Amino acid sequence: MFKRVWSLVIKEFIHLIKDWWMPAFMLFGGTLELLLVGWATSRPITNLPLMVLDQDQSAASRAVVVALENTGTFALEAEAPDMPTIQDAMERGEINAAVVIPPDFDNELASPKGKPTLAILLNGAESIPATAALRAVQGVISDMGEGITLRRLGLSPGAFSGFDPSLRVWFNETLSEALYTTPAELGLMLEFTVLLFAALSFARERELGTLEQLLVMPFSSLEIIIGKAIPAVLVGFCDFVIMLSMIHFAFHVPIRGSLALLLVVAFGYLLVELGKGMVISVTSRTQHQAFMLVMMIGMVDFMFTGYAAPVESMPEVIQLVANVVPAYHWLTILRGILLKGAGLDVLWPNILALAALGLVIGTFSLRYVRRALD
Amino acid sequence: MSWRHLRAIIRKEINHIMRDRMTFTLVMFTPVALLFLMAYALTVDIKHVPVAVLDYDRSSTSRAFAQRTTEGEDLDLYAVVDCLDEVENLLMHGEIKAALVINPAFESDLQSLRGVSLQVVIDGTEPESGGFAVEHIVGRAEEFVGELLADQMRALDVSLESLQPIDLRVRTLYNPGLKPRIDLVPGLISMVLGMPALSVALTLAHEREHGTLEQVMATPVGRAELLLGKMIPYIIVGLVNVIVIPILARLAFHIPFNGSFPLFFWLSALFLFAILSMGTIVGVFIHTQPAALALSFLVIFFPGFFLTGIFFPIASMPEMMRMEAMFLPGTHYAVITRGVFLPGVGLDVLWPYGVMLVGLGVAFTAVAALFFRKKLG
Repeated sequence: MFKRVWSLVIKEFIHLIKDWWMPAFMLFGGTLELLLVGWATSRPITNLPLMVLDQDQSAASRAVVVALENTGTFALEAEAPDMPTIQDAMERGEINAAVVIPPDFDNELASPKGKPTLAILLNGAESIPATAALRAVQGVISDMGEGITLRRLGLSPGAFSGFDPSLRVWFNETLSEALYTTPAELGLMLEFTVLLFAALSFARERELGTLEQLLVMPFSSLEIIIGKAIPAVLVGFCDFVIMLSMIHFAFHVPIRGSLALLLVVAFGYLLVELGKGMVISVTSRTQHQAFMLVMMIGMVDFMFTGYAAPVESMPEVIQLVANVVPAYHWLTILRGILLKGAGLDVLWPNILALAALGLVIGTFSLRYVRRALD
Repeated sequence: MSWRHLRAIIRKEINHIMRDRMTFTLVMFTPVALLFLMAYALTVDIKHVPVAVLDYDRSSTSRAFAQRTTEGEDLDLYAVVDCLDEVENLLMHGEIKAALVINPAFESDLQSLRGVSLQVVIDGTEPESGGFAVEHIVGRAEEFVGELLADQMRALDVSLESLQPIDLRVRTLYNPGLKPRIDLVPGLISMVLGMPALSVALTLAHEREHGTLEQVMATPVGRAELLLGKMIPYIIVGLVNVIVIPILARLAFHIPFNGSFPLFFWLSALFLFAILSMGTIVGVFIHTQPAALALSFLVIFFPGFFLTGIFFPIASMPEMMRMEAMFLPGTHYAVITRGVFLPGVGLDVLWPYGVMLVGLGVAFTAVAALFFRKKLG
């Protein structure tokens, strides 16, 4: 049996070498993408085009503009001559925000009881930059306001500093975005890669008509399945190790827990996803169909990775469903081991759940795939 | 270019697509389904974040503050604990996402105007919920402090208002609540409508794999006709989605549609032409379906997601990335979708983007047709 499986594995590897794009993509495409995405998502938002309509033209109004520029969030466009210019630029999507300083800004600021006003217009058609712009303006205004209040009350600076609560962040002391986004991205890339690889395996042979040839040869269906599974798991595992080193060395994501435990769980997780992929593969008549199914299933799993929004905030039903999604447990384990340094004592419920899911999915897919092949 | 040839190829393609019902259904509905999944997953309102409270002060003021903070739907009080070790333990197990630590001098500091002695501890592995908890707690603290200080301020003859001397008036156009969902859904259309491009790349590779491409090339059909004939059925599939998506977006997510629908429809057709041309380039250079899939992911799917300015503003990218973004049809189309949905602008504003789409489409198709001959020959 071992010899026959071995010859099947060799056959699969010959396929891989002949069609080298696919394994190259599996090994390095994810890594490349992770580098790009990690890099893109861990940058601050800067250079947002901003228009200023300064109707005051005083030293105070210019100070506001300089303070806004100094935040680094904005790139100042030419000064606007009037409101219609601003409206027009915003409609065209050329600016994300505009600041209007009214004529009496300086006078109000100087008088002891004055209340200077400042208007800001945000382009809500791009809410992410608009929110960043709002935060930056609010920061500048609250700093300036504090200075004015202190001056008016005749207090020393620092009198209000005690009113800011202190913040402590555990497991990610510098609040680096890369630390929480890259593990989730890694998990997602790994899932897509393995699912795709497994899903194409039988679908491809069926479409090309070579599955029949394989079936008439003296291999049992179990041997064929194992022969297909070994290369997928091997390539997937190498992919995981490469991506893990990448986020560790390029994005400084720590591995605080046990690396051995992580590798063992990763291996188990790969087997679970492999089982899913194989079921997709034998149900699909064409590679095209297998691919579309992988997209749908992968994107559903994406919801449960906590990448965009925490699962706890979703409706109860979805939280219940999350428990039977392998990717959900896998991400909890991955984050736990990498960032929290959690061990078996903390993660056992998730590992147990993953194992149970693996058993169910594995048994089902083995029986299903065997029946489909026989 | 002969219309008869083109029609023959289109008919052949439609036969192919329709023969396999399952694949057809998937090709047809994947864009809509993806849009909804992503729009939902990316814009879930954060609430019910579990927090713990560690109250070292144990005064009536601190208890009132803790109670105030965990009221409502935003934060859920998971546990009241006695020491930091318990906080760490709960964070480690993922039972809580944040903790409010009230220092011993909380009440006395407040009463003597020395400040607020409190700390917020968050789980940095999921800052979405942690950051939310911080904002919420700080907001409640400011309210609380403000009310407590009001009396003392009045005694000093200082109105509370004077603490914020500058009156900042914020006006948000097109999306008053700055809700991410309102602009992400139109933005994401540019990504999900790119899915048919992957299908085109796959069908070209499919013909190559099965050797049927040579047969077609032996007929008097030209290269450009063949490529266009491959694209047009998928443009039709895409346009069906273009009709369905604004309706569903309005019903399910309450996304307004302020512009002209015919304009949106025709500009979408231009986008489909441009993005499908990208797909044909992949299909022309690659010989097997798995490889075509791999390459389309790298050049169409992921850049369409990350580099088109849907999530991360193009203005903030470095020069090189900004250049690359200009070559992606999705970048221009995202401006169109947002412009038509939200401000409701017309052709006078959007024409440059339409021109860019046509330019990219023609250029990509020309490149594909050029290399098509070389690759086959």
